[in-house]
Amino acid sequence: MDFNPVDRAAIAGIGASRFGRHLPESQLALGAAAFRAALDDAGLERSDVDGLAVNLGWPLGLDYDRIAEAFGLDIRYVNQTWTHGRFVTMALQQAALAVAAGLAEVVACVAVASFTRERDILGGPGDFEGMREEGGTHAENPPYGLTAPAAGAALAYRRYMSLYGATTDALGEVAVTLRSHARRNANAVMRRPMTLTDHRASREVVAPLRLFDCCIVSDGAVVVLVTSAERARDLRKPPVFISGMQGIRAGRDEFIFAPPGLGINQQRPGRVTPRPEDGDAWRMADIERDDIDGLYTYDAFTPLVLFVLERFGFCAPGEAHAFVGGGRIALGGALPVNTSGGLMSEAHVSGWNSIAEIVRQLRGEAGERQMEDARHLQWATMWGDSIVFRR
Amino acid sequence: MDLTARPNPRVTPDNRPFWESCREHVLKLPWCADCDRAFLPPAPVCPSCFGERIDWRAASGRGTVSTFVVVHQPWFPAFADDIPYNAAQVELEEGPRLTSSLVEVANEEIAVGLEVEAVFDDVDDENTLPRFRPRRRG
Ligand SMILES: [Zn+2]
Repeated sequence: MDFNPVDRAAIAGIGASRFGRHLPESQLALGAAAFRAALDDAGLERSDVDGLAVNLGWPLGLDYDRIAEAFGLDIRYVNQTWTHGRFVTMALQQAALAVAAGLAEVVACVAVASFTRERDILGGPGDFEGMREEGGTHAENPPYGLTAPAAGAALAYRRYMSLYGATTDALGEVAVTLRSHARRNANAVMRRPMTLTDHRASREVVAPLRLFDCCIVSDGAVVVLVTSAERARDLRKPPVFISGMQGIRAGRDEFIFAPPGLGINQQRPGRVTPRPEDGDAWRMADIERDDIDGLYTYDAFTPLVLFVLERFGFCAPGEAHAFVGGGRIALGGALPVNTSGGLMSEAHVSGWNSIAEIVRQLRGEAGERQMEDARHLQWATMWGDSIVFRR
Repeated sequence: MDLTARPNPRVTPDNRPFWESCREHVLKLPWCADCDRAFLPPAPVCPSCFGERIDWRAASGRGTVSTFVVVHQPWFPAFADDIPYNAAQVELEEGPRLTSSLVEVANEEIAVGLEVEAVFDDVDDENTLPRFRPRRRG
């Protein structure tokens, strides 16, 4: 069977709840608000949705069966991963593949994150992610007091500093830039001005990372509706097409928070990216890296922004720490990154807030953040997966 | 489960020889008898050749710090009095990297590339953690 997914699926609707800290709404209430907004955005009815894709189930978010039951849906296709931010791309890819293959007409990607209610899962005795027998997937190791995803990003950035002479000010450049984007976003949780001096003065969490290197702990929901390209063309808003994609990478050269070759866990030296397979999504979309007008990534910790730039070859290995300054990743710069503020300053909806921002930018709905003439925007993560979007 | 206690290693059929040898103050690694190579984390098959002939052999205990962090956040109640404390990855002479912590060195003196050797910390009657200290020369 010759199955080509290019431009076969599109995002037809986006919706969000309000974002905040210590919100009184339950996960179901946040999810319902985002779901209602997405249907309205697309001009679709609740009964049109027949698929669900979820990467944040219990306890942080909602499981697919609870969503279907509570929202009164009639579902015939589901994809749900273990509750983890790394599976954003996978959920969206599976939604696109499902509608392209005819397994569903409209797949709702439902992302709810109530971090302030469930904050015990982020490090310490309640962090079951870190309790795996040979160490957690971010190199947590509880017998040594090493816990929380931040530890993995800190381990990676310490080695990066040592190899390339990078400083923590490069991380400050990322935090300050993303804050400047959030300041143009009325829905962002963190809108106070931030300077490099503020970043240097923030308390150490797990050195070399400081508080302002860690994303915000917030509550919120985003729903993204995926349907076939043909159907999307007949709906209320212009479609945003899914033009190219590549899957999550795994193997001994992979560590979730370090580019291959850096030397964390069992990564072998010299296997640095980009390798030919790191450009699969561009080839599928029939574009080059230089055609990308903006990059969106999972910025749970500031080093991940540097690492994704190197992983995808926007910078050579060891060069991203110099690249991120000088406004180059800011709106109006050479490669704007996370233009709504990302997980660092807008909200931690597992990156779905940035997926929604991609859609707004390609529709021309981004208001005072609007990029000029953006044609191709890329979602790409440190762990190697990606989706290229076009209008 | 006592949430105020220090977490102990989770012993499995795959890693049991590692933790049992630590109790005898010997650092052992799984070796593939076919590739003649050590690997971590412990597994019943070799990640290079997928062979099943795995021997546990004593390692030299020597290595270098490949990266490290210093924890300031009181995530674990049991570690609160140790803050700020370090954790490190050590690249062993045999090749694999092991996550551990460093002793007999101030946090400010730790650097990537520091040469270290294993020491053993009997944390209770049943558990011994390997840690590393700077290697003494001569
Ligand atoms: Zn072998």
